[in-house]
Amino acid sequence: MSGASRGAHLAIQGLYKRYGDVQALAPTDLDVAQGEFFALIGPSGSGKSTLLGSIAGFVPPSGGRILVGGVDVVSVPPYRRNIGMVFQNYALFPHMVVFDNIAFPLRMRKVAETEIRTRVERMLAVVRLEGMGARRTSQLSGGQQQRVALARAAVYDPPLLLMDEPLGALDKNLREEMQDEIKQFHRQIGATVLYVTHDQDEAARLSDRIAIVNHGRIVQVGAPRELYEAPCNSFVASFLGEANLFPIQSVAPAVDGTTLEIGGGMRLATTRKPPEAATGAGIMACVRPEAIGLNHRTSAAAGNTVEGIVDDAVYTAGMLRYRVRVSDSIQLTVRQPPGHAAHHAIPGERVVLSWRAEDTLLVPRE
Amino acid sequence: MRVALPSFTALALVYLVLPSLIIVPMSFSNQLYLTFPPPGWSTQWYGAMQTDLSWPQAAANSFLIGVPTALLSVALGTLAALAVVRGRLRFAAAASALLVAPMLLPHVIIAIGLYPVMLDLGLLRGYLGVIIGHTVVAMPLVFITVAAALRTYSESLELAAMTCGAGPWSAFRHITFPMIRMGVVVGGLLAFATSFDELMLSLFLTGPGTRTLPRLIWEQMNAYLTPTIAAVATLILGFSLLLLAVVAVLQRARPVESQAP
Repeated sequence: MSGASRGAHLAIQGLYKRYGDVQALAPTDLDVAQGEFFALIGPSGSGKSTLLGSIAGFVPPSGGRILVGGVDVVSVPPYRRNIGMVFQNYALFPHMVVFDNIAFPLRMRKVAETEIRTRVERMLAVVRLEGMGARRTSQLSGGQQQRVALARAAVYDPPLLLMDEPLGALDKNLREEMQDEIKQFHRQIGATVLYVTHDQDEAARLSDRIAIVNHGRIVQVGAPRELYEAPCNSFVASFLGEANLFPIQSVAPAVDGTTLEIGGGMRLATTRKPPEAATGAGIMACVRPEAIGLNHRTSAAAGNTVEGIVDDAVYTAGMLRYRVRVSDSIQLTVRQPPGHAAHHAIPGERVVLSWRAEDTLLVPRE
Repeated sequence: MRVALPSFTALALVYLVLPSLIIVPMSFSNQLYLTFPPPGWSTQWYGAMQTDLSWPQAAANSFLIGVPTALLSVALGTLAALAVVRGRLRFAAAASALLVAPMLLPHVIIAIGLYPVMLDLGLLRGYLGVIIGHTVVAMPLVFITVAAALRTYSESLELAAMTCGAGPWSAFRHITFPMIRMGVVVGGLLAFATSFDELMLSLFLTGPGTRTLPRLIWEQMNAYLTPTIAAVATLILGFSLLLLAVVAVLQRARPVESQAP
């Protein structure tokens, strides 16, 4: 907003961390562009916090480089890295009022009091807390405390802003509201943002790109849509959104693609080609619940048609979600917006499921 | 239950406090030796306490030993608490137990251990020797109160301060210390009170020039048994109660909030 630094390029090169025999972070490379909003998502204990802690300077890495704007910061102590950080529990200083909290980084930098006043007031306006400077932090709501934390982390124009599950403590409605605010906040301050969350929807809503982390390594990096439509393995497919995953028993070439035997006499058609010499053991078929039509009249052209019995039907947040049993061992999840569904099926009903052959994805088994 | 519980509390308090309070009437006795109950009343022993110069001197010694003991305990106890609570030590639990151990050990054992050491170092009967000895038993109190204060808030406050640009000393001065201030002050007062009341280490480590109030009382008890002892003890009791009251008030007070600019 002061137009000074508009975000730094972040490069992680061969960064790894071991605790004794335990590898918390496998050698990792990552590039985050200037001003990009980049999310790290993964299950808890996947290593994303280790990665964030290394960049912030709390976790000394066992090796590798962290370049912020081209400068390696690994040996720089956290208080000289000039990186902003927003903590999950906000970490506001309870013995200071809102103004002093936001002024703290400027005071540490020995900025003149008159300039501190201007910059804090400007920051209070950015996070829509005008006139709240004299409040105690304990008098604020969760959302307001979060905005103070954002203001404090950005008031000194850090070129890189780290956010560690900043909305984790808020309830669902407030969280969605704050997501929009964070997005807008990012547009205003222009810093590069590295955002850690375990909430895939949040990551998809906010981010330009997402890295999926599991077992101490980055599994896949890409735009949210890319990750969803072309997951690199079955973990990514099931972690990001819902997925119907099938182990494959055998693979046979077909006229315009491949036929997959998935057990129970069931065959799936796909336009995708399995890797050379694949027998099916190392790969899985993946069908997204939204790709499946329920009792569509056009099912003849679909490529895949199976019959099944509805086990249950649930209505959540504008979506109808069915669990349909197609054989003793196979159950499919189907999701449809209720307005578009030709027919609202009820449990026990016999239905026909269909999807296009190109919607049968092949992913390596993870 | 509504009557039983308060009654029981009252009885327990009487049992705990009454023996200490008996010295109060004894100090106003008109007899020449300690008696209870005194047959008549006078305040002469409070006068006698001032004319015998050994009492004011012992009182001064108690402060000259108690205040440095408290300061030393605060410095060491706070550092120890920071190390154990924030330091990610591998043996934090063991370190914690060892730090509290001197409080649980009989003072006479610590005294027997310290005596030859102080003799060897030439610190016996001087101020420094007994200050070191008292710090051994007083520091655990600071460690406990400060460690408790550190556990009331998340380490992320200090991490946040660091990302904001505060070096280790600035983070301590602006964040950690204000957060643990009450624990430090209360621990310091308790450390002072421990030194002020301590007899066993003082018996072993002080000399004629450095003897403390408790030691002088003990000597006088053996030699004279005059009500002067009760008068001094009454004053010590009053002073200790005052310290306790200050501690109680401080512990109830909320951490000081900063003012808006």
